[in-house]
Amino acid sequence: MEKTLFEKYGGFSQVSRMVLSLYNRLLDDDDIGPFFDNIDMSKLVDHQTKFLSSLLGGPASFNDDHLVRAHAHLDIKEEHFDKLREILTQTLTDHGVEPQDVVAVVSAFDARRPLLRKS
Amino acid sequence: MSIEAINEQLLRAIGVGVALVDLQSLKIRFRNDTFASWFGEAKPDESLSELLPDIDTQAMIDTLDTGGPYTAEATFKMRRRTMTVAVEVSHALDGTEKIAILVCQNITRIKELESMIDSYSMMVERNTLQIKREKEQVEKLLLNMMPRSAYEEYKTFGVVSPRMFDEVSVLALNFVGFNTLLEEHDAGVIVSELNDLYTAFDRIGEQFGCERIRTNGDSYLTVSGVPEPLLDHAQSVAKSAIRFIRYLNQRNEGHPIIWQARIGIATGRVVGSVVGTQKHIYDVFGPVVEVAEDLRDMASPMTVATHAKMADLLSDGFEMTECPATVSTDTTAQTLLQLTEAKPLNN
Repeated sequence: MEKTLFEKYGGFSQVSRMVLSLYNRLLDDDDIGPFFDNIDMSKLVDHQTKFLSSLLGGPASFNDDHLVRAHAHLDIKEEHFDKLREILTQTLTDHGVEPQDVVAVVSAFDARRPLLRKS
Repeated sequence: MSIEAINEQLLRAIGVGVALVDLQSLKIRFRNDTFASWFGEAKPDESLSELLPDIDTQAMIDTLDTGGPYTAEATFKMRRRTMTVAVEVSHALDGTEKIAILVCQNITRIKELESMIDSYSMMVERNTLQIKREKEQVEKLLLNMMPRSAYEEYKTFGVVSPRMFDEVSVLALNFVGFNTLLEEHDAGVIVSELNDLYTAFDRIGEQFGCERIRTNGDSYLTVSGVPEPLLDHAQSVAKSAIRFIRYLNQRNEGHPIIWQARIGIATGRVVGSVVGTQKHIYDVFGPVVEVAEDLRDMASPMTVATHAKMADLLSDGFEMTECPATVSTDTTAQTLLQLTEAKPLNN
C-alpha cells in the first residue's frame, strides 16, 4: 500500500511540530490572525491538527460539507487564501517537506478554495 | 556591582515570571521582566485580582495561612495567543511584612500540546472504530464464503488446506421451471425472491447443523458434517429437506410466485477446501455431491429423493417409498427412494 505523506514525514510525532509551527505563524500573521481572535485555544489547535492531518492524508478527514459549515460565518477572501497558502508552503518547506510534496499538499488546499470563498 | 544588584539582575532576567505581592493590600510590589512582558509594566495600585482574575485570592490567603504554597493555573491573552501559566504563591522568607512571592511558569506550550494530543487521539479513536467496523464487514463477507473454522485457518495461515470428510450428507436443491419463471417475471423480482428463499433455507439448515456451500442460480447446495464432523449428519440434511418443502408449501399459499423445489439428499465422503487465489470460495468435492444432484434431478416436484445408503442412516422419523427412477445416471444406478416424514417432525 502506498505511504501517505503523513506517514512519509514521520507520522504524528513530526506532523505535530508542523501543526504547532503553523499555529504560531497564523496567530502572528496580521491578515489571518484576526480570524482567530476570539477562538478558544483548544478549538484552534484541534482545527489546525485536523487541517494538516487531512491535507497530508493522516487520520483526519474533513468532508466538504463539514468544511463549508465550519467556515460559513467567516468572510474569507481570495487574499486570505493567498496568505494562508504562503504560510502553509513556508511551514512545510521549513519542516523538510520535499518540493513536489509541498505542491501536492498546497494543490489539495487550493482545490477547496471555491467551497469557502465569499468573494 | 554589588551582590544585591547581581541578584536583582538575575531575578529580572530569568524566564520565569516573578512578582512580590503585598498580602494585606493584594497589590503587586515588584515584577521581574518576564512577568512584565506577560502582564505589562507596573501601574500604580494594580491589584493581583485585576492582573490574574483566575486566582481565588481568598483561597490563596487561606492556603498561605496554613503554611502551604498556593498553586493555580491562570490564562490570559497575549496578542491573540491564549497563554497559560502555572502559578505558585508562597510566603517570603524574610521580614515582618506579609509579602508573598508569586512565581509563574509558562505552560502554554504544554497546554497546546495537550489539546493537540486530545484532538489527534479523538481522530485516531474514530478511525480505529471505522477500521473495526470495516473489519467486521470483511469478516462477515468471508464467513459468507467459507465456514468459520476454514476462515480461522485462512486468517492464521493465509491458506485453507484441503481436508477429507468421510461421513457427510449432502443436500442438493433446485426449482422446477426456473427458466419459465425468469421469462415470466422481472429478473429483479426473481433475484429478490431467491434471496428470501435462500435466507430461509440457510436459517433452517443452520438450525439442524447444515452449512450452505454454494448457490448457483436456482441451485442450492448444503452439507452436514463439514467442516465440523456431525454424528447425525444424515438426520440433519433429511430434517432440513423436509422443512424446506414445508416452508415452500406455506410460502406458496400466500405468494403470487409459486416455487416448486426438487431435493436430492445423499451420503458419502467429500473433500472440503477453499478454491481460488483471488476469489476465495469454500467448496466441497466428491462423487456424493454428484449423486445428490442426480437424485435431485430425478425427484418429483416438492419431494425429496434419496438412495439406500442414506436410508440406512435414517431409520427413525422418516419413511421411504421406493419409486421407479425416471432417469438413471452413472452415479445413481440404484433404487430411487422418496423420503417423507413418518409423523410430523417436531420443530
